[in-house]
Formats: sequence, C-alpha cells, structure tokens
Amino acid sequence: MNTIQLERVEKQFGAFRALNGLSLRVQQGELYGLIGPNGAGKSTAIKIMVGLQRATGGTAKVLGYGPQDPQVRGLLGYMPQETALYPDLTVTENLDLFGRLYGIEKEERQRRIAELLGLVNLSDWAATVVTNLSGGMQHRTSLAVALLARPKLLILDEPTVGVDPELRASFWAHFDRLRQEGTTILITTHYMDEALRCERVGLINHGQLVAEGTPAELMKQVKVQTLEEAFLAFAGRNKANTEVSA
Amino acid sequence: MTLRRTLAIARKQFLTLRHDKRTLALMLVAPVMAMLIFGFAFGSSAKHVPVVVVNEDRGATAGKIVDALDHDVLAIATSSDLAGAKAAVDRGDKVAVLYFAPGFTADASPQTHLQMVPGKAPAVQVLPPKGAHAQLYVDTTNQELAGVVMAQLPAAAGKLAAAAGQKSPINFDNQYAFTRAKNATTTDSLVPGIIAFAITVFTTLLTLLAFVGERTSGTLDRLRVTPATEAEIVLGYELAFGVIAAVQGGLLLTVALLVYHVLIVGPLAVAALVVVLTAIDAQAIGIVVSAAARRESQAVQFIPFIIFPTFLLSGIFVALSSLPDWLRPFSYLLPPTWAIQALRDVLLRGWGLDHVWPQILVLLGFAIIFTTGAIVGLKRSRA
Ligand SMILES: Nc1ncnc2c1ncn2[C@@H]1O[C@H](COP(=O)(O)OP(=O)(O)OP(=O)(O)O)[C@@H](O)[C@H]1O
Ligand SMILES: [Mg+2]
Repeated sequence: MNTIQLERVEKQFGAFRALNGLSLRVQQGELYGLIGPNGAGKSTAIKIMVGLQRATGGTAKVLGYGPQDPQVRGLLGYMPQETALYPDLTVTENLDLFGRLYGIEKEERQRRIAELLGLVNLSDWAATVVTNLSGGMQHRTSLAVALLARPKLLILDEPTVGVDPELRASFWAHFDRLRQEGTTILITTHYMDEALRCERVGLINHGQLVAEGTPAELMKQVKVQTLEEAFLAFAGRNKANTEVSA
Repeated sequence: MTLRRTLAIARKQFLTLRHDKRTLALMLVAPVMAMLIFGFAFGSSAKHVPVVVVNEDRGATAGKIVDALDHDVLAIATSSDLAGAKAAVDRGDKVAVLYFAPGFTADASPQTHLQMVPGKAPAVQVLPPKGAHAQLYVDTTNQELAGVVMAQLPAAAGKLAAAAGQKSPINFDNQYAFTRAKNATTTDSLVPGIIAFAITVFTTLLTLLAFVGERTSGTLDRLRVTPATEAEIVLGYELAFGVIAAVQGGLLLTVALLVYHVLIVGPLAVAALVVVLTAIDAQAIGIVVSAAARRESQAVQFIPFIIFPTFLLSGIFVALSSLPDWLRPFSYLLPPTWAIQALRDVLLRGWGLDHVWPQILVLLGFAIIFTTGAIVGLKRSRA
C-alpha cells in the first residue's frame, strides 16, 4: 500500500498555480526526500498531504484516507516549515499541550517528553519559554512536537534548518532508527547530503515532479557525480522546458 | 469531540497568561482603568463652574437668590463692573454673568398704590408684582457647563420660595418603582454599561490578537493536524475567556463597590451568567474577525470598529430610545446592548432570571450563532 499517493494534484492560488499535476507515491516504511528550488511547491504539497489545504485538482490519499478525513488526524506527525510553537509557553508546556491533544496519558506523556528532550538536546532548557530560545533550539522543539505521538507517518518540512552539524547527525540517526521501526518519513530539505540519505528522492520544480528515484539513479540519469549537480541539471532543464512551452 | 482536548486548549490559554504578564495585566488592569475613568468622568456632574454675580439690587431678594445657589456647583465671584464681567465671559474666562438690576427686589414684590380719589379716604391698592428679571449672560459653547448654570437659577428661586413658606399651586410627588434604587446616581446606572463595555472590548481584542497569532505563527495549523477539532479549539478558547471574563466582571464589581459604593441589589450569579455570555459572544466575534487579518498590525485596525459601535450604540451613555430610528436596529444586533440591559435589571432593579431570561436567551442565541460562525470559518480556512 502507498502511504502517500498524489495523483496529478493541482493547487491554484488565484491566478498562480503552485502545483501543476504533481504525482508521487511514498511506500510504507520508506524514507522519501522531497527536494526542489525555493517556491517549487514542496510546502504546498505537504500542506495538502496533512489536510491543511485542499487540492484544486487531482486526488490525494494518505494512509488510505483522504487527507482531510478525521481518521487521518493523530496518525501522522507534521513539522511545519515555520517554527509554529506557542512563544509564551515553555518547551515542556508546548510538548505537554500537544501530548494532551493526542490523548497520551500523563505518565506516558512525561516519559516521552523527557526522552524527546534528550533527543533534541534540550533537557536543560525544558522550563524555558520558547521566545527565549535560539532559532535552532526552537526548531528542535518543533521537531520534538512532531515526534511526540509516535506516528506511523512523519511529514517533516525542512526539519534541520538552522540546526548545528552535530545535532543534525543525531537527528538523522534517529530518522533511520524510526524507519527501521516501520515509520514512513517524508522530508524536504535543501541539504544534498541529507537527500543522499533518503531511499528515494523526488525533485519538484514549478509544481511538478521532474525526477524521481534513488539518489544514485538521479545522478546516473544526468551523468553527474554529485546530487548537487543533478539538482541543478534537473531544475535548470525544467525551467527551460516551461519557458519553451510558455 | 472530547472534553479533554477542549480543556487542554483552555489550559494552554491560562499557561500563556502565566508567562505573559503584560497580557495578564492588560486583562485585569485595563478594565479597571476603564471603570475608573468612565465612572469619574461621566458619573460626576459638573463642579466649580466659574460665574460672576453683579448684584446692584437695592433690596435683599437678589442676595437671597445668590445664597440659595449651589456654591459647590458654581464658583461664584462677585463684581460691580457689569461690562468687565461680560468681557471675562467673552474672553472665555468665565461661563456666565448673572446680573441683578437695582429694582430687582421692587419688581419682585407686590406693587402697592396709594389711591387718592378726591372726596374719599386714601386707599391702598395691592397689585401683583411687576415681575423681576435677572439677566444671564452666558457662553453656550460648552453645553454641559451652560446647562448647569441655567438649571441653577430656577432651582434657587424655587428653594427661596419654599423657604418663604409660599405654596406652589402645582406640586409633583415622586413615588419609586424600585425603592432600593431610589437614590441611584448616574454612576450606578453607568456601572452595568461599563462592565459590559469593558468585557466586550477587551475580550474581542485579546481573542483577535491571540487568534491572528495562532494563524500567522502556524500553531493553528499544527493544532489542526492533531485530533483536535475546530469545535474543540473554539470551545476551549471560550471556556478560558469565559472564566477570565467572570474574574474581570467580579473585579469590576468589587472596584465599583469600593470606589463608588454602587448599588447592587440583584442576584450576582445571574449577573455572572450575563458577563460570561457577553464574553463568549465577544470572543466568537474576535475569532470570526481574525480571519480577515493577515498580521497583528492589521488586527489592530479593527479595534475602532469594535469600540465605537459598542460605545455609542449599546445604550451605555445614549439611551436606545434617543437613537435615530434608522440606527436603532443596529443596536439590537450588538450583544452588549442586551448585556447592559440585563445587568442593569439585575444589579439595580434587583431582578432575577424570571425577568431577564429574554435577554439571556438573546445572548445565548448570539453565542450559538457566532460560535458556529467561528467554527465554520476555521473549517473553511482549510481550503
Ligand atoms: N497561500 C498562498 N497564496 C498564494 N500563493 C502561495 C500561497 N502559498 C504558497 N504560494 C506560492 O506557491 C509557491 C510554492 O510555495 P511553497 O511554499 O510550496 O514552496 P517551497 O517549495 O516550499 O519553497 P521553499 O523551499 O522556499 O520552502 C510559491 O510561489 C508561493 O509564493
Ligand atoms: Mg517550503
């Protein structure tokens, strides 16, 4: 079963088409990387997957349901691109609120919060109000919130932006661990070394999937040695195409 | 829908206040300040209005009238220079000049004529007084002050007549429908309005800001990816703001009691119910309006649209019956209009649920309509 399945999804904002027939499938247990230039439509695609926006065309299915089906709620963890935390609550209070909303019992909640604070290395900052944290620390708190409910499907929009290299490495170690436990993960990133760690990578540009495959396949398709070069080749080619067709 | 998630949302609101002392202060201090400012400014009548008396009366009547004037309301200076006194009014230094001509007492007294008819004994004929005229030279550009001065004169004349034991041919005797409110002051009748006004304005404002924050920071999106439904989110907010409003209402009543010794004769529980419903209405309106603002700075621009109609149309200062016919229907669309009436009925008239249920029902109706609007609005923003 495909955990995420988008078929020719379109998203129109007024006269602007942010997604233009995007089709992609993420299999259960897969670690899928979504890459593409700024404004390509990655976050828009993600918002449709988590049910925050409705596609104006095509169909989307997540965990076998329509993304806005109430059944989906609580089954997926979402980390938005923006920090999206309550600035006047402490790190623990933010986590605790979402734990309550997911219906996690008190003791379990406390155990998971302590565990996640260790993972994102914020145990010493647990009682600090979010406004007083550095940008990277806020980002780490935000990731902890997404992981809290131990969802079957994790959708993370640029989870490692502003995170220092050491923690980034430990995040990825954790993502690998989660995947081994059977969690499906979709991640967007602008770091090619992170994309290299994904099983499959989808490259989108101008709201369309322009390439998909393992990192090795992508590099082979355009005969380059690095994923960076592949990215530039695909992003550039697609741009040329749209200019011709326009 | 679960109560648990609703409570979690409400709890979040209180935790936020614990860390955000400025908002907490705004919630508690601002309504009290509104109460004190409005109460003192509008509840107190004019005092120490500067007037000049030029008394040239050769008799004693004018002097007695001047004595009978309320020397607390009027700050009376005397002068013998009529032209100079008028010049002071012209300059704006004084509000009025009260002038008594030399013949004032004479004109006010019955006229006696010695009738000398040839061949008869002289007889005294008594005719009614000619009619004395005191002259008031007044600056009417400030209607409040001018009105106070003008009302003082007949009052003083009346007092004088009563003191002289003269019986007026026509008398009015007051009986009081609400005996406990017999001595109600302007402040007493203002306090219910101020409570409804403060709760409405501050609750709408804080909800508006909180919700624009939820929308722009992405936390609302995050909430909506959890099992929390839109209804739970809105009701959680309403629960928190309802409790906060009850606290605000209690605080306002306490201040009104301590500072103005206001009259409170009705059941406080009913007043609390009205206050909580008012807050829920205001809160749901805040959520609905928040959809129209992209940033907090835009939300602030809505504030006048909340304050002015509430202030002018809900019957705090201007009675609904005094409004133009075309404007009055808008008053009935404002929840505070009903809240003010209900609070006055409860606090001053001493009525209970048996009398104010219609207003409570209307407030409840608004709450249901606006809450539904807020929930539907949130759902539709997942477009
Ligand atoms: N609500 C909206 N209204 C209008 N246009 C929008 C809206 N949301 C996104 N867009 C537009 O859609 C396009 C895709 O945006 P999106 O955020 O999905 O890009 P992205 O691939 O996530 O970029 P980045 O790498 O910078 O995060 C952009 O051109 C953006 O301006
Ligand atoms: Mg993005």
